Amino acid sequence: MPELRKDPIIGRWVIIATERAKRPDQFSSQAPEGPAEKPCPFCKGAELQTPPEIYALRPNRTPPNTAGWELRVVPSIAPFLRIEGDLERRGKGLYDLMNGIGAHEIVIETNQHIANMADLSEEQISKVITCYIDRIGDLEKDRRFKYVLVFKNYGWIAGAGRVRHSRSQLIATPVNPKRVKEELVGARFYHDYHERCVFCDLIKQELESKDRVILDIDGFIAIAPFASRFPFEVWILPKKHSSDFTSLQPSLRPDLGCILKKVLMKLKKGLNDPPYNYVLHTAPFRREKVGYWKSIDYDYHWHIEIMPRLTRVAGFEWGTGFYICPLPPEDAAKFLREVNEA
Amino acid sequence: MSELRRDPIGGRWVIVDTDHPNKPEDFEYEPHSWRGGVCPFCYGNESMTPPEIEAFRQPGTQPNTSGWRVRVVPNKYPALQIEGDLDRRGLGIYDLSNGVGAHEVLIESPYHQKDIPDLLNEEVENFISMYCRRALDLVKDKRFKYIMVFKNFGAAAGASLEHPHTQIVALPMVPKNVMEEIKGAHNYFEYRERCVFCDIIRQETQEKERIILENKHFVSFCPFVSRFPFEIWIIPKKHNGLFCHMPGEEIPALASILKDTITKLKKIFANVSYNFIVHSSPINGDGSTEGYHWHIEFMPKLMRVAGFEWGSGFYIVPTPPELAAKYLREGKT
Repeated sequence: MPELRKDPIIGRWVIIATERAKRPDQFSSQAPEGPAEKPCPFCKGAELQTPPEIYALRPNRTPPNTAGWELRVVPSIAPFLRIEGDLERRGKGLYDLMNGIGAHEIVIETNQHIANMADLSEEQISKVITCYIDRIGDLEKDRRFKYVLVFKNYGWIAGAGRVRHSRSQLIATPVNPKRVKEELVGARFYHDYHERCVFCDLIKQELESKDRVILDIDGFIAIAPFASRFPFEVWILPKKHSSDFTSLQPSLRPDLGCILKKVLMKLKKGLNDPPYNYVLHTAPFRREKVGYWKSIDYDYHWHIEIMPRLTRVAGFEWGTGFYICPLPPEDAAKFLREVNEA
Repeated sequence: MSELRRDPIGGRWVIVDTDHPNKPEDFEYEPHSWRGGVCPFCYGNESMTPPEIEAFRQPGTQPNTSGWRVRVVPNKYPALQIEGDLDRRGLGIYDLSNGVGAHEVLIESPYHQKDIPDLLNEEVENFISMYCRRALDLVKDKRFKYIMVFKNFGAAAGASLEHPHTQIVALPMVPKNVMEEIKGAHNYFEYRERCVFCDIIRQETQEKERIILENKHFVSFCPFVSRFPFEIWIIPKKHNGLFCHMPGEEIPALASILKDTITKLKKIFANVSYNFIVHSSPINGDGSTEGYHWHIEFMPKLMRVAGFEWGSGFYIVPTPPELAAKYLREGKT
């Protein structure tokens, strides 16, 4: 019997289609590589092919936009949003609009031509995490911005384009994205009633039942969520309550680097190097203003959502927000637990 | 300068790239091609599907034989099962229920290689009438709260069988985005005592820049807040919440605008894959339907959707809908 499961945070129903379930190993990726690779502007020595850098780790204090860096952040060459100008909120009949003000940055995670973050060292991934925190902190100073989206597209199917060099993207937006808002509202609703964080309750239940736990290390847990939308969807959450990713202590960053690397390596080894996306979900900038709500720090809990792209998503999922997941998350978790990531 | 636009119904913001808009030739999409092979939806293969639920047939032909014009069968691999109770229950902080529902496949015509633009208007009318008949039948089952009618055409859009078909799913609850749309429309109605969709139609038919086609009963247009390039909505001019209550005289008008709109799209994007979904009011008393207005949302599959959209619900549209509508109206390539 298939099951209908409800996401406890935003209330989305998904069908876990147990009837036509394939075995976990049958989901192995056969994604096409995509068109031929372009010359890489992100490698060591190609620094002048990107716009001038915003941030870089240069242990030997080499000058900007030359070799000698370990990690580098540059503006997107094709930004969707522009940094200069005013928002100019306005109406047009019954529609609302404003200017496309924002920032769009690329985090080049390594100077080596490595495609998958799974192949970076834990130490290098920790540096990427610190870089996210530094960049979000810097963008917060611009009072036009409400949120910074941090995400990664790996593989052609997942939208990575024709350069196969490991990178993430940051987009600072003057509005809160819809998904984030829904999570915040759902989490606040739960907190108002229970006076507990829904994510903390979820972590507690997952650690007790263990069915959906993939990894459990100091400080962090990786799970296949109860109401997964996609086969092998993975969430990484800090065990200790925290709404804001940027408040992550430096001492915990290596642990996050470790669990992220292990999860990505399990996906790579277990599912034949599938394309994937991940998105960081964190609290918006909290500034005293109209509509600011003070309980976010108590009711929200940051986390990372990883979505391997193993099945084609058909149009009705987009149109309805209603997903059919062909693999029970319990089976996905068991399979990934057993993949040796070393 | 690009624009941020807010959807007046659900409140979603999207980025519309008005700076360097994508032209039709800038899209690298995966064109649909016919692979052929044995097809369970073709004449003579009726026994390869589960027994038919309903069909329009030439007089004198028997169920599950050839001679049908439109045929509806249960999905061989249903996502939901028709038998059983819902049995809603909790599991700690989680909620779940049995996957009770209906999952039907409507074979639009006997022709394996004829998509909507290749059919006669009359043939399109036939399968639209069948959409309504099936929905009216499923509404009678009080366990169901929503009837979802959608089409995936082409492998890139998720179609696993290439013979053109539509799926009908009856659900025991209302899908999330639909519920949001209904709530948004309801809030607008409460405040203004007008339907937001009727207001959109009024503004669009006055401004005309996003209109593709218009006939006596319907308009097709690229919505001001599109999520995808060349997204198209087809909407009845007369306020009506439930598509299966469509008056008989509207069916030929819908058939003609649907066929002509897709024809225009395919002129620009040869063999493009696409999805469409009929958005309609919930049934059997779930949710207020006063301010809702049924419509078809149509999405050509021109891009790979990236992680940004997944995680954030925040979309980037590389071709402004005004420009998309102009291309579609003029049939420019």
